[in-house]
Amino acid sequence: MEKENLENKELKITITLPTNAYFISGIRDFTLNMVKSTTNFEEKWAYRFQSIIDELCNNAIEYGSAPGSDIRVTFIYKKDDCLKISVEDTGTGKGKLDAAELQKLLEERKAPGYAFTGIRGRGLVKIVGEWSDELKIENRPEGGLKISVTKFIKDARKNDAGLAKPQGMSTPEPTIKLNI
Amino acid sequence: MTEVRITIEDASAGTNKNLKVIHIGGQLDESNVDEKIQEIYKLLETNPQNLYLVFDLENLEYMNSKSIGYLTDIYGKVTEGGGKVAIAKARPNIADILQVVGLTQLIQSLDSIDAAKTALAS
Repeated sequence: MEKENLENKELKITITLPTNAYFISGIRDFTLNMVKSTTNFEEKWAYRFQSIIDELCNNAIEYGSAPGSDIRVTFIYKKDDCLKISVEDTGTGKGKLDAAELQKLLEERKAPGYAFTGIRGRGLVKIVGEWSDELKIENRPEGGLKISVTKFIKDARKNDAGLAKPQGMSTPEPTIKLNI
Repeated sequence: MTEVRITIEDASAGTNKNLKVIHIGGQLDESNVDEKIQEIYKLLETNPQNLYLVFDLENLEYMNSKSIGYLTDIYGKVTEGGGKVAIAKARPNIADILQVVGLTQLIQSLDSIDAAKTALAS
C-alpha cells in the first residue's frame, strides 16, 4: 500500500487480476463497496459502476487477454469531481481489436435504429456508454487496449434531484495496489 | 463460479394458461449464465407454444449484459410461440440496468408476482 496524493484529494487504486471470469465477482464487490464508502456518488452509482467494471473486464477477458495473461483495473477518484475507471488488456486474446476497430464498432452500435439481435454486444454501448460522461479507447504501447471511462459527480447529480447525499463524507484513502 | 439459483414453479392451477414462475436468485454473470440459462431454454423446448412466464427477480442481486441478451432472446421465442413474459419484483439496481438497455420497453416490470400474472392474463 502506498500513501500519496492525499494533499490533492485524489485516490488511485490499481488491481491486476488473471484472465479468468472467476475473479470478476470480487472486483464487482470491491467496486460497490469502494464507491459507497469512499466517494460521494449516490448509491445507485455504486451499482452502475459495478456494472461498468464488470462489462469492461468481461470484454478484456473475452477478447483482449489470453488465458494465463492478466488484465489491469485502475480507479482514480478525484474528490468532488469525478471517478475514472480504466481496464487494460494485453492484446494477446483471440478476439483482439485495435482501438480504431473497436471505436468503429462502438459507433455502429450507437447509431439510431441499430438493432441488437444477438445475446452479446449491449454492454459497451448500452451500459458503459450510457452511464459514463467520457469513454476513451487507446492502444497501449506494449500491446492491447486501454479503455477508460469517466463519470463526473455534477453530471451524476443532475439526474438525481431530490436525493440528498449524507453529510460527512469520508476522506479519500491513499493509493492502493492489489495483485490477485 | 458465482452462485445463482434458478427454480421453475408451475403456476397454472386456477388459470387456463400454461403459466410458469421462474425464480432467479444470486448473481447472473459471465461465469455462470451460459450454463444456468439452459434450464430455461429446456423449458422453452418442452413448451414451445402459448407459454406464459413470470421472472421473479426479488432475490437477483446482479445481472450482466449477456444475461439481458438471453432474457431478450427468451422473450422473442416465447412471444413467437404466442406466449407472454413479465418481470416481477426486480430490485432497484436490476430495474435500473433493465431500463438502460431498453428491455423494459419490451417486457413489463411489475412490483409483485400477482401483478405480473394479472398483466399476462390481459
